[in-house]
Amino acid sequence: MAKRVLVVDDAIFMRNMIKDIFSSGGFEVVGEAANGLEAVEKYKELKPDLTTMDIVMPFKSGIEATREIVKHDTNAVVIMCSALGQESLVMEAIEAGAADFIVKPFRAEDVLAVVKKVVGEA
Amino acid sequence: MPVDMSKYLSLFVTEATEHLESLGRDLVELEKTGGTASIDSMFRHAHSVKGMAASMGFEVAATLAHRVEDLVDAVRSDASLLDRELVDLLLSTTDTLLSQVRAAAEGQPPEDSGPIERQLSERLARITGRSPSPTKVAQATARPSAPPVPPAAPKAPAPAEKENPQERDAGLGLPPRFGLKVRIAQSCAVPGVRAFLVHKRLSGLGNVFDLKPALEDLKAGRIPDGLVSLELETSAGEAGVRGALGNISEVEVLSLKPVVFTAPSPPAPMPSPESAKVVGHEAARTVRVRTELLDYFLDTAGELLLATARIREVGKALPARSQPSLDEAVDRLHGLVKDLHDKVMKARMTPLSVITDRLPRAARDIARRRERDVDLVVTGADIELDRAILDDLADPLLHLLRNCIDHGIESPEERAAQKKGARGRVLVSVRRARDRVVVEIEDDGRGMDPEKLKAAALARGLITAEVAGRLSDAEAYTLCCLPGVSTARDVSEISGRGVGMDAVKRAVESVGGTLEIESERGRGTRFILKLPLTVAVVNLLLVAVGEEIFGLPIAKVIGAVEAEAGTLSRSREAALLPYAGSLLPVHPMADLLGIPDLPRVGPRPFVVMEAESGRVALAVDRLLGQEEVVLKALSRPLDLVPGLSGVTILGTGRPVFILDVPRLLAA
Repeated sequence: MAKRVLVVDDAIFMRNMIKDIFSSGGFEVVGEAANGLEAVEKYKELKPDLTTMDIVMPFKSGIEATREIVKHDTNAVVIMCSALGQESLVMEAIEAGAADFIVKPFRAEDVLAVVKKVVGEA
Repeated sequence: MPVDMSKYLSLFVTEATEHLESLGRDLVELEKTGGTASIDSMFRHAHSVKGMAASMGFEVAATLAHRVEDLVDAVRSDASLLDRELVDLLLSTTDTLLSQVRAAAEGQPPEDSGPIERQLSERLARITGRSPSPTKVAQATARPSAPPVPPAAPKAPAPAEKENPQERDAGLGLPPRFGLKVRIAQSCAVPGVRAFLVHKRLSGLGNVFDLKPALEDLKAGRIPDGLVSLELETSAGEAGVRGALGNISEVEVLSLKPVVFTAPSPPAPMPSPESAKVVGHEAARTVRVRTELLDYFLDTAGELLLATARIREVGKALPARSQPSLDEAVDRLHGLVKDLHDKVMKARMTPLSVITDRLPRAARDIARRRERDVDLVVTGADIELDRAILDDLADPLLHLLRNCIDHGIESPEERAAQKKGARGRVLVSVRRARDRVVVEIEDDGRGMDPEKLKAAALARGLITAEVAGRLSDAEAYTLCCLPGVSTARDVSEISGRGVGMDAVKRAVESVGGTLEIESERGRGTRFILKLPLTVAVVNLLLVAVGEEIFGLPIAKVIGAVEAEAGTLSRSREAALLPYAGSLLPVHPMADLLGIPDLPRVGPRPFVVMEAESGRVALAVDRLLGQEEVVLKALSRPLDLVPGLSGVTILGTGRPVFILDVPRLLAA
């Protein structure tokens, strides 16, 4: 069974792009969330194998959401979607329990390489 | 795996535009309130635009957004940096970005933003004392073919595989210590973060000693040749350490050797694979639909309603025994179609905020140009209207706002002399009143002078002295909606751009609404727009004129009376109908429409309606009743005929034109 992914980003644009990348890599995107609050809810509901998490989002940041998700499920695999210039935020997210990170702008092969390292093949 | 970015373009355009518009609003809000609440949101908007533009390979836009992000970030730590000049700069940048997004949408090269980028960089350099960092952009369009996917990394051991029974059985004594050397890949964009992740992952396994470079240098990315060495005391075993590092990208393990050999102890309890299956994930709760598609749905649902009415009409010719079953079927069909139509209408409802959100920015710009201090307050913007109405309302609303600031709000000095607060106030309030939405735009400025309006209308020959003498103040205010009447001493750059109050009134009425004006000298002016929730369904009064049938929008009908020709008063040649204590000018519909007037005896019906210059009585031949119909827009060349506002099709299959009486009278 394909690995199940939850995509969290406040931009539909980014979500679509990330979704396409995962689909092309043989993953199954099972849910999306547009902010940290929704991310935590969706995580609890969907129990994905992998969650991609934007950092800067309304209502609740990706870091806070990651902290809550990892607290809820210590085996949660959360991969931060970051941009250059966000190094300290990514480190904060890693402290909060993020498993890895990818740096925008995304290239499909880079994203899949990082993800496959973390969770194995799709 | 080259990514075709073109399919993301429309989404990019929509979302980037939304972010940029919000950014502009936040800036205006921030300047006004001076609070810090919107800074985070501004940062987010700039950040999102940067990310999207970079992903699309739009380097110029990404760089601009990056600068904005940096400046907002600087403001975040020191709010005093945000002066008027910076707000101006950020707003112009937002405008430039918007036009670049539009250019991208049209496949045009971006507007040159070199000068503004330099301004941003200078400002940034002044604030932060260093030159801005470059913006990384995807080469999505330029890259001919993407490099191959790197050879699959040695497969990360799945959790279960880490559980090596031999290692587990041998656990005794202190945890063993390993010497470890890794290299962060040269290609890594953020080696500091990568190294930090390595450190974090290893700290999770045990205790780290002798870290080189030191953690602070590591985090800052100061890692010579990407080399990191450390000792790790862990009971995870060599396989555990390799496993932990094996699933981190861009890290190569150069050496891993036990410092003191001891058989490893069992690893931490293993996770149980998540077996909970979620049946059918919940789809996103909302989707974006192109407005053209919504228009098409509405049009088709409207056609279905008309077609259903036609079936009912045709069925009347069938033998009586087949009537009940046909009626039943048609009733059912009608119910379904009506429901569908309602749902489509509902889907088209859009909050007024779509247009009112632009007002604060506009108010700021107008006020600055006119050197006024104005506070704009918008309430009730979450109330929804049919998008078609909203589309037609955007410009009129903006014009009324300009009008309030340009002509209403006095200069600060003048206000001080009037013992008013130095800052003027424009209030835009929206509320529901039964099946209408009422939008009021109100200023606390100097108010309108009815005498000046009358004089202006007289001077342009739009009214006679006699009419001017009869007009109440309330009626006089509506004179400003006649073309060419303006009491502003000068035609300002802002209000005098061809969209006069006459255009506002026409726009409001074309969607089936009304415009009222209240004013008090020295206290201010209030424009009241009463709008239908939707344009697609209108209530018509059907009238017969000769052999023809026409529809008059009920919203504009004041009443209907029957009168004998002999009871009409005459003023010179014009017939006047006594109605509710006044005499209304009579217009025979047949004349207006160029239809032969039938000779008649006895009383005839008159429809009293609101027109530009007040009430009028329209002489018709018969009143046929009221009907709720689905309005269809006219296509060329019929839309050019003045006085026709639309068409509908009756159940009989007969097309009926809907008349725009004020324009018919003006034609």
